[in-house]
Amino acid sequence: MRWSEQFVSPSLMGAATYALAISLAVVEAGILAAALLPNVDSDYRAFYIDGTTTCLNRGVSADYSIGEIVSFRRDGAKRAKDFKVCGWSGPAGDGTHSLGESSRLRVRLTNARSPIRATLEIAPVLRPPQDRQRVFFSINGIPTHATTLIGPDIRSVSLDVPDSALVKGPTLELDLSYPDAIPPTRSASAIYKRAIKLTSFRLNFASLGQQIPTGSIPPN
Amino acid sequence: MPLAFLVIGYGLRYGAYSFGHTPSFADYLQSLCRWDCSWYVRIATDGYDGYPTANQTNVGRWAFFPLYPLMVRTVGTVFQLEILSAAVLTSTVLACAACLVAWPLLGKDSRAYALLCAYVLSGPLSFHFTSVLTEPLFLLLTSCVLLALKRSNYLAAGAFSALLSATRLVGVFIVLASLLKIYQDYRLQRPGKPFAYWILGKPQILVAILISPAGLFAYMLYLRVTVGDGLAFGHVQRAFGRVAGNPILFLWEGLSAVPAEGWIPSPPQWSALVAVGGLFMCVLLAWRRQYGAALFCTLCIVLPLFTNLASIVRYVGGLAPILLLGAQILSIRTDVFIVVLLLLLASCYLLTQAWIGGHLALV
Repeated sequence: MRWSEQFVSPSLMGAATYALAISLAVVEAGILAAALLPNVDSDYRAFYIDGTTTCLNRGVSADYSIGEIVSFRRDGAKRAKDFKVCGWSGPAGDGTHSLGESSRLRVRLTNARSPIRATLEIAPVLRPPQDRQRVFFSINGIPTHATTLIGPDIRSVSLDVPDSALVKGPTLELDLSYPDAIPPTRSASAIYKRAIKLTSFRLNFASLGQQIPTGSIPPN
Repeated sequence: MPLAFLVIGYGLRYGAYSFGHTPSFADYLQSLCRWDCSWYVRIATDGYDGYPTANQTNVGRWAFFPLYPLMVRTVGTVFQLEILSAAVLTSTVLACAACLVAWPLLGKDSRAYALLCAYVLSGPLSFHFTSVLTEPLFLLLTSCVLLALKRSNYLAAGAFSALLSATRLVGVFIVLASLLKIYQDYRLQRPGKPFAYWILGKPQILVAILISPAGLFAYMLYLRVTVGDGLAFGHVQRAFGRVAGNPILFLWEGLSAVPAEGWIPSPPQWSALVAVGGLFMCVLLAWRRQYGAALFCTLCIVLPLFTNLASIVRYVGGLAPILLLGAQILSIRTDVFIVVLLLLLASCYLLTQAWIGGHLALV
């Protein structure tokens, strides 16, 4: 006779064991159901679950006065840090490299007044035979500009901040997306793709009548 | 025997570390703390990340399962040790315990036992078992499950499986080995009714099966409460750059990654060769009718291959059924046994240097 049978009848023991088995099954099914229905925000879902972005939004931002030039080389690393939301690596010696299929900068304007023009100095990352990188810009979700970087030199790219981007407040989110970003190896994850090197960023008040036309999106 | 190999192993690894260094024990422990080690140390020290992560990084700590860092933290608290020392102590004790559990699994064959102890405590990958990684715990718990199954003690197997599933994700697949053993026992008993009916009439077996993934489910519940995503351990793999792909393609890419110069295989080649070797051992396990162990090891090798070859040497090198079978095969002849034993000890020195040097195949 087992020790347990000295105190509990076998049928009661069997019933208790069945109850334990059912409890385990119910609890595990409940946890599985909860796991399959995550309670996460849209940024988490987009990056980790759906994989629709390589740029995980973060709550960083820094105050910015119109006219300040922010260096994204090593000399400006400390200042640039809080503008970089996601999709950046570095700075390296030649600037801050984009990482993934899109990047984001965020600035909180201390003296917002339209019209504002953003100017970025960027150079493409190229790997032969690829000789160009397309970059699409949007500000606060509004598609603003598109450019094609050809050749290895640093280029100055300017884009006007749409008035509608400033309606909700003084914070600007500048998204850059790279349809031609280059993966380091054939089977590497998209989060490691490279497209541009950013060396500096600035915002200026644009003179009226000097609005630059929004770039047309080049064909594939 | 484990104690002897433990001392030899520490001597060899310390010798490998001190080559070209001014040695100190604290620096030795730090030198062996490579790759995932720092993650476990951080988890044992500060716990898991919530979301958003405290330092705004994409790579939350959720990929690393909780049982090992929990044990390290407990040992550190009880013995008032700093976390790295506590982790090394924990790993060492676990590795020795894994050797002790292997004794009955090897049929008390002292030569096979010597080879296994030499491999774990003073072999080429002994730094995996004696530094800060989950390998010693995974090896010990897998051996405990196998021993419990050998004795048809399903409840004990289920309890150890639960712990194994809290150690590493693939640990949950040991339940398949249990199911196969239960099925084999059912066939032997010839009860005259279908397997499903038979098993429903055995509540203790039901509990044993259902409790097997309990560690994984507990961790999922914890992640659901703290992060909001019970599957965060899997979803965070994207931030580590792991993407699903074709394992055969990964193997082929690894095998064909010819070194730029010389004849020594490149890290991807080593990884691919070890993966292929591990799969061959799975076939041998199946051929010896150890179907459950073969299935478990196959899943433990193939599933990581769906992302890439990273860490595959460590994963294959820590699979108890493969190590046990290897020890049995290589100890049949005395001359082979002696040669293999010497090779294990010699390679401990060389591979420890490679580990400290950051060789990618050993990640």
